[in-house]
Amino acid sequence: MIEIRDLTKSYGGHTAVDRLSFTAPPGKVTGFLGPNGAGKTTTFRCLLGLARPSAGTALIGGRPYRDLAAPRRTVGAVLESSGFHPSRSGRDHLRVVARAAGLDAAGIGAALELVGLAGAADRRVGGWSLGMRQRLGIAAALLGDPAVLVLDEPSNGLDPEGVHWVRQVLRRWADDGRTVMVASHQLAEIAQVVDRVVIIRDGRLGAETDIADLPAARVTVRVDRTEPLLGALGAAGVDHELLADGAIAVADRAPDEVGALAARAGVTVTELGRSRTGEALEALFLDLTGGNGR
Amino acid sequence: MSDLPTLVGAEWLKLRTTRLLHGTLPTAVAISAAGVAGAVVSADDAGSLTSARQVRDVLAWTGSGALVVLVAGIVLAAGEHRHGTVVDTYLTTPRRGRVVAAKLAVGAVLGLLVGLVTAAGSVAVAGAAYAARDATFPLGDGEVWASLAGTLAYTTLFAVLGVGLGSLVRNQVTAVTAALAWVAVVEHIFIALASGLGRWLPFEAGQAIVRTPLDHLLSPLAGTAVLALYAAAFALVGARTTATRDI
Repeated sequence: MIEIRDLTKSYGGHTAVDRLSFTAPPGKVTGFLGPNGAGKTTTFRCLLGLARPSAGTALIGGRPYRDLAAPRRTVGAVLESSGFHPSRSGRDHLRVVARAAGLDAAGIGAALELVGLAGAADRRVGGWSLGMRQRLGIAAALLGDPAVLVLDEPSNGLDPEGVHWVRQVLRRWADDGRTVMVASHQLAEIAQVVDRVVIIRDGRLGAETDIADLPAARVTVRVDRTEPLLGALGAAGVDHELLADGAIAVADRAPDEVGALAARAGVTVTELGRSRTGEALEALFLDLTGGNGR
Repeated sequence: MSDLPTLVGAEWLKLRTTRLLHGTLPTAVAISAAGVAGAVVSADDAGSLTSARQVRDVLAWTGSGALVVLVAGIVLAAGEHRHGTVVDTYLTTPRRGRVVAAKLAVGAVLGLLVGLVTAAGSVAVAGAAYAARDATFPLGDGEVWASLAGTLAYTTLFAVLGVGLGSLVRNQVTAVTAALAWVAVVEHIFIALASGLGRWLPFEAGQAIVRTPLDHLLSPLAGTAVLALYAAAFALVGARTTATRDI
């Protein structure tokens, strides 16, 4: 469980995070969304003990990161600012982490296998691609078999197959009952996998919601003549909207009800469908981030 | 969270898994051996080579390895910021004071190791260089062992000082440049303008520890105490700064 309460972080006169509060519960993938510079990374740095909050708290399992008894066994994190020594091999990087954290070195081989780096592990990281480094960072995060996973833009530098793989890792980890929080400035990358979203802009909370609680999906209908149907919907007191492309979006009604209304209004339905959850999420994201989040 | 011996082991593993250790040892040996050989070859009178003053002059060059471990100590600490490995380090050990303590310990071990290896190398080179000038290196002389013991203290303290400085100034290039400029330029200016003040500076204290035969220097014991204070001060300030700053 991650709990952020009234977190504020200022640098000089600039407030990067402003009285931010949210929770990321176990068993769910919580997406942390916002444009670049919205304060996601600063929030994570405060959460992980790398930066001191100006005010407020950031807790993991009820404790600040610095007070965790076994940080690597509790939290696995991948941050954009983390790096690797170019002349150290990937396996040696993990050996260093395991040694310092008191983890069993036997897990290193399995972690390398899991992220698909078993073959390259003994080469110096200096010659590795961005995608391979990203996988090594994830391997380091998973090494302690942590209950909480915190990932900042984990898909950076990964090819489509790699992005798909990251989503599978997140899903599996959350289905296992662990807390997973993943930050991204690209909704499309994580829209398929998140159970919950926290959207921030300019360091402030925009929205915090489970996907299941998003406004009920709307029904979209196209008819040969819009006027009679618009009149019928208005007369029936149904919340609706005429979209720019001529379709009519209807809230809180099932497709068959909308079809019946159209028949009574004497118009012919040419297309009828329900918009997907992803579209509702996208609408929320674009609305809160001013449309520049893609 | 892991105890200090475990963290020292991890820091040593970090050192072993880069080229730092493999670069530091041969460089230190080469520099100090070259200094020792040069001092023997350039001595005016082969007859006086075995005099106490001449032996001290020759063996003081053994301490050149201290500059190499000073740089290595800086890299040990500041290098983590350069490569971004500091994030993983602090995620593993959020109590950063422990990380600095472990690095100081590894720095001291590295300095001692370099001191031992350069001392052995210097004795071998000095023996050969003396023989080349038809003289016998006075290995049994107390002066020799006093100088070599001084080398161990010098390299150990300079390595610790380097770790402290690298913890304080996390830009590795800035820290290395500043340290070398200090040794090569700033202290010389102090010596030229006010040698009474200059002898209290770290590099001059180091020269005193390895018994360089120069009149303005402190006694070896006082030099050791002064350098130990510098090393402790940098270690403390480095640790305190590291504990509180944002990464």
